[in-house]
Amino acid sequence: MILVGILLTFFGFVIGVSSLAVTASAGGRLVIVMAGIAVSLFGILGVLNPAYQKNAVWKKGLSRE
Amino acid sequence: MTNARKCLLGVLLVMVSTVPLAHAQAPVAAPAVTPPAASKTIVDTDLSNIPVPAADARAKGDPDGSLTGNASDITVSDAKKGLTIGDLANQVGQNKIAVNFVWTLITGYLVMFMQLGFALLETGLARAKNANHTMMMNMAVYGIGMFAYWLIGFAIQMGGVGAVANLGGTPPLSSEFTVHLFGKPFGLFGQHGLFLMHKGTYDVGVMVLFLFQMVFMDTGATIPTGAAVERWKFSAFIVTSFLFAAFTYPLFANWAWGGGWLANLGANFGLGKGYCDFAGSGVVHAVGGLSALAIAMILGPRIGKFSREGKPQVILAHDVVMVITGCLILAFGWFGFNPGSTLGASGNGNLRISSIAVNTMLASAAGLISGMLYMWTFYGKPDASMTGNAFLAGLVAITAPSGFVNPVGAVIIGLIAGVLVCLSVAFVERVMKIDDPVGAVSVHGTCGIWGVISLGLFADGKSNYGGSWNGVNGSVTGLFYGDAGQLVAQLVGVAALIGFVFTLSFIFAIVVDLLVGQRTSAKSELAGLDLPEMGSLAYPEFELKSSS
Repeated sequence: MILVGILLTFFGFVIGVSSLAVTASAGGRLVIVMAGIAVSLFGILGVLNPAYQKNAVWKKGLSRE
Repeated sequence: MTNARKCLLGVLLVMVSTVPLAHAQAPVAAPAVTPPAASKTIVDTDLSNIPVPAADARAKGDPDGSLTGNASDITVSDAKKGLTIGDLANQVGQNKIAVNFVWTLITGYLVMFMQLGFALLETGLARAKNANHTMMMNMAVYGIGMFAYWLIGFAIQMGGVGAVANLGGTPPLSSEFTVHLFGKPFGLFGQHGLFLMHKGTYDVGVMVLFLFQMVFMDTGATIPTGAAVERWKFSAFIVTSFLFAAFTYPLFANWAWGGGWLANLGANFGLGKGYCDFAGSGVVHAVGGLSALAIAMILGPRIGKFSREGKPQVILAHDVVMVITGCLILAFGWFGFNPGSTLGASGNGNLRISSIAVNTMLASAAGLISGMLYMWTFYGKPDASMTGNAFLAGLVAITAPSGFVNPVGAVIIGLIAGVLVCLSVAFVERVMKIDDPVGAVSVHGTCGIWGVISLGLFADGKSNYGGSWNGVNGSVTGLFYGDAGQLVAQLVGVAALIGFVFTLSFIFAIVVDLLVGQRTSAKSELAGLDLPEMGSLAYPEFELKSSS
């Protein structure tokens, strides 16, 4: 899942850059770039972070005591 | 004196004082129109007749300063000819560049002083048992980061920037590695400037640029230390800081400031004036904040930060005095960060440094007020550490737009940043369950991105730095003042920050984790990192009571 998250996050950047070629209108580029940012954020918040939270230290019961 | 005499004297005094005032406020007669003097061409011989103080007069000293600094101080190229028009013009040109050198260097020194602010802020927010380790990270990042930046980072960032007119041209920085995409050139990284010797970069203008850009990079490099505090292996920190200064930061900085593809979105794709980031909300703060997020995610939270049910627990700061002192030092250093980013005080619209400085202070005040009121309203008290973070959030957010917005825009940007940082800290901790002890991800990452976007909204089109920006004629103008393309350019920058910079930072963090391990042992963490990692305590003569 970590690899998927990394690829998804990077893919959002690719979408953002591709907006420069897909259309010349500011509105169209705005929508595509926003979609790219959303994909990257999903990669971080929806895939990468949950993958690391699976083995979080607090789930193992490690505490200060 | 009787009361009557006092009254009489008072009336006389009032009359005497109002007479000149009345004259001053009376309409002034129009001056007699005099014919313009016939223009006279100045030749070299006119300059030789300029009176200068005699040597014996100067030998007696110059207590009021009226004799020091005159035509005799201008360097002449040929002693036999004496002072010429050419000498005069060269002196004027050098004076302009000298003013810009001094301005840029001194503001760079102010930015360097921010290292102390970060050190105090982060150490104060950590527990006493980690104080030595935290202070050491903040000092070591200066040396490690600078070394990596000198070796390769500066060349990647600025090796192809071209002429920086305010610093006398910097002609050696002239080679950018470029690919062609969608039929347009995409500058990816610079190629001149390795070791500050390569390809003629042993140059006075390049040295000024290096110093200023180095302290900016180092500000970014110190941001992850805050998010990773109290559990980061010192060796992992060293390698991470080197990679940040050598590659992560310089790459994005090249795209935005070094003549790379983001800066040219205006010239190549008609998007406003291209990606604009006056002093680095994106380049410095968002890059640092996103790297901090990647590292904090991989490190995991401190032991005891979350209960078994995942509920966040409070781990108290050990010295709020240090925290607030650090915040105030950072705010002081920001007067170097933003106004210094003109890279000059003379020529090319650089007198706008006054406006930039005022925008900076206004946004910080607005952030402080909105953040403090938010905490007071929703948490019952004006929490000191969160108010400090809101103060810094205003500064981070105004960093990109400071050169392009008016004071009202600056206040709005700061007000939003102050609340945004409080919401972001809560989101990172409660929803993402990421432990960021100082709020670095929110202050620098979230509010850095807000700063980049806000420029695309609030830039008022009134700035004029030599008539163009990023090679596009006109002033930077945001959506609210009529240019939607500028907002799109800013958002492409945000996509690059989140999609590229975060990904690169994350990959580097994984590699460091595999090579040296990111996290200290649980035993070291519980004992405090001062002894296991650094070999000595920060406060050896105090008994530390462990409440957390």
